[in-house]
Amino acid sequence: MLVNHLQSLGQWLLRSLGGLGGALFMLLQSVNVVPGPRGWQRLVQQLYVVGVQSLIIIIVSAAFIGMVLGLQGYTLLVDYGSEQAVGQMVALTLVRELAPVVAALLFAGRAGSALTAELGLMKATEQLASLEMFGVDPLHRIVAPRFIAGVIALPILVVIFNLVGIYGGHLIAVDWLGVHSGAYWGNMQAAVSFADDIVNGLIKALVFAVLVTWTALYQGYMCEPTSQGISTATTRTVVYSSLLILGFDFILTALMFGGL
Amino acid sequence: MPQTPLVEISDLHFARDTRAIFSGLNMQIQQGCITAIMGPSGCGKTTLLRLIGGQLTPQQGQIKVFDQALINISRDKLTQLRGRMGMLFQSGALFTDLNVFENVAFPLREHTSMSADELHDKVLLMLDAVGLRGTKELMPAELSGGMARRVALARAIAMEPELVLYDEPFTGQDPIAMAVLQRLIRSLNDSLQMTSVLVSHDVTEACEIADDLILLGRGGVVAQGSPDKLLNSSDPLVYQFMHGQADGAIPFHYPAPELITELRTTKAKSGLQASTQTHSSESH
Repeated sequence: MLVNHLQSLGQWLLRSLGGLGGALFMLLQSVNVVPGPRGWQRLVQQLYVVGVQSLIIIIVSAAFIGMVLGLQGYTLLVDYGSEQAVGQMVALTLVRELAPVVAALLFAGRAGSALTAELGLMKATEQLASLEMFGVDPLHRIVAPRFIAGVIALPILVVIFNLVGIYGGHLIAVDWLGVHSGAYWGNMQAAVSFADDIVNGLIKALVFAVLVTWTALYQGYMCEPTSQGISTATTRTVVYSSLLILGFDFILTALMFGGL
Repeated sequence: MPQTPLVEISDLHFARDTRAIFSGLNMQIQQGCITAIMGPSGCGKTTLLRLIGGQLTPQQGQIKVFDQALINISRDKLTQLRGRMGMLFQSGALFTDLNVFENVAFPLREHTSMSADELHDKVLLMLDAVGLRGTKELMPAELSGGMARRVALARAIAMEPELVLYDEPFTGQDPIAMAVLQRLIRSLNDSLQMTSVLVSHDVTEACEIADDLILLGRGGVVAQGSPDKLLNSSDPLVYQFMHGQADGAIPFHYPAPELITELRTTKAKSGLQASTQTHSSESH
């Protein structure tokens, strides 16, 4: 009985390591080529698909999250007569944690799942095999521009998330609840450090971008080319990406802000 | 007829999971010929095309195309080799983000340095050959299955490859399109000295177009030869397939227990379940 369990555990471990090796190999194979003029054109096209088309969900979510932070921050701080500090609370919460994490989770749901489904369908309809038969490597042609676009797009989306969220907080705290505008911006400027907060937040965004895009492309590229296979791969993209984002957020926070 | 093998397969073993598809397959495809690969469903016809195209790797054996072994071939060499091949996929496999014109232009843009005018003319000629010049602005989603396959055929032959692999080229075609495609495959093969390998279920069409027929089954080649030779074969399996007989060496049914046994077992099971349910409701 115990031997069977150990055997299953060993098999699972070997499969997982094999999968990780395969994913790493795929990533290295796809990004080891400098794109030509048409490669740049494809990159711009993918930036539009994964970046620009994710803008609406990012802006709307950021506005609501900023407004909630402004409201919650004000009701908490007003009891201590510190409502003037709501600006720094909103900004630090967003820049350090919420913007990279929430934007990455939304990106996984919006762009990651779309990438997996697109690649899965290309596989099911033999488009990837067809590229191979034309002597065109699908890793260079299909995977690379999508990966690079994802890695560029998410940090930019996080910056936009920060800006919109801070304005959302301003709308509630200043325009509605009457906190002084100068105090909102002034305290924020004094408390938020470019090097410690903004740069660390962007590093998180970059790490999450690599994790989400890589997971999405690997799941799509390796999925079983059937309706059920594509559906499973799309679900896995969202689940694995979300878990990776939350897990790595803890590790990065501990390294950046935990004094480790 | 030249008798130089362009594709040589020896002692090929290939299995998907635990199901063996080929166990010791040996065959040759002669240069300049149209070879039709036939066989019952699931015997590995499409798999064989993919093995020749280097998209699948066998567990054992050797495949040589253009005198180059495909086993352990480097990625670059395989890419070079594929530049000399064309393949028509069963589903057409058109790129859904490109229109018909761009789909046919794809291999020409990738592998040639044609001027825009030359490329334009070449694509139109190819589309005209398959009767679909008028669809050049349409997207693949706007085409019927048969039309998509004809566009894919135009794309597969656009580079005038030395070896063309056709996976079910006649499926879904109306009789007029089928006759045109047959003539097109024959004329391209003869005028450009191509070698064509086509997978087909249609015995009549395959016999009309092919110089050589290969009948697959039992994990290997059951018979190979001219259409006349196979049509007149006395081998029970060959006869059954070539003449479409329901009873014979090739079973129509997928392996399963006898129907009457299975029906009785199912009835016995449902009877047992019903009596168990009655007992449990009585005891309550």
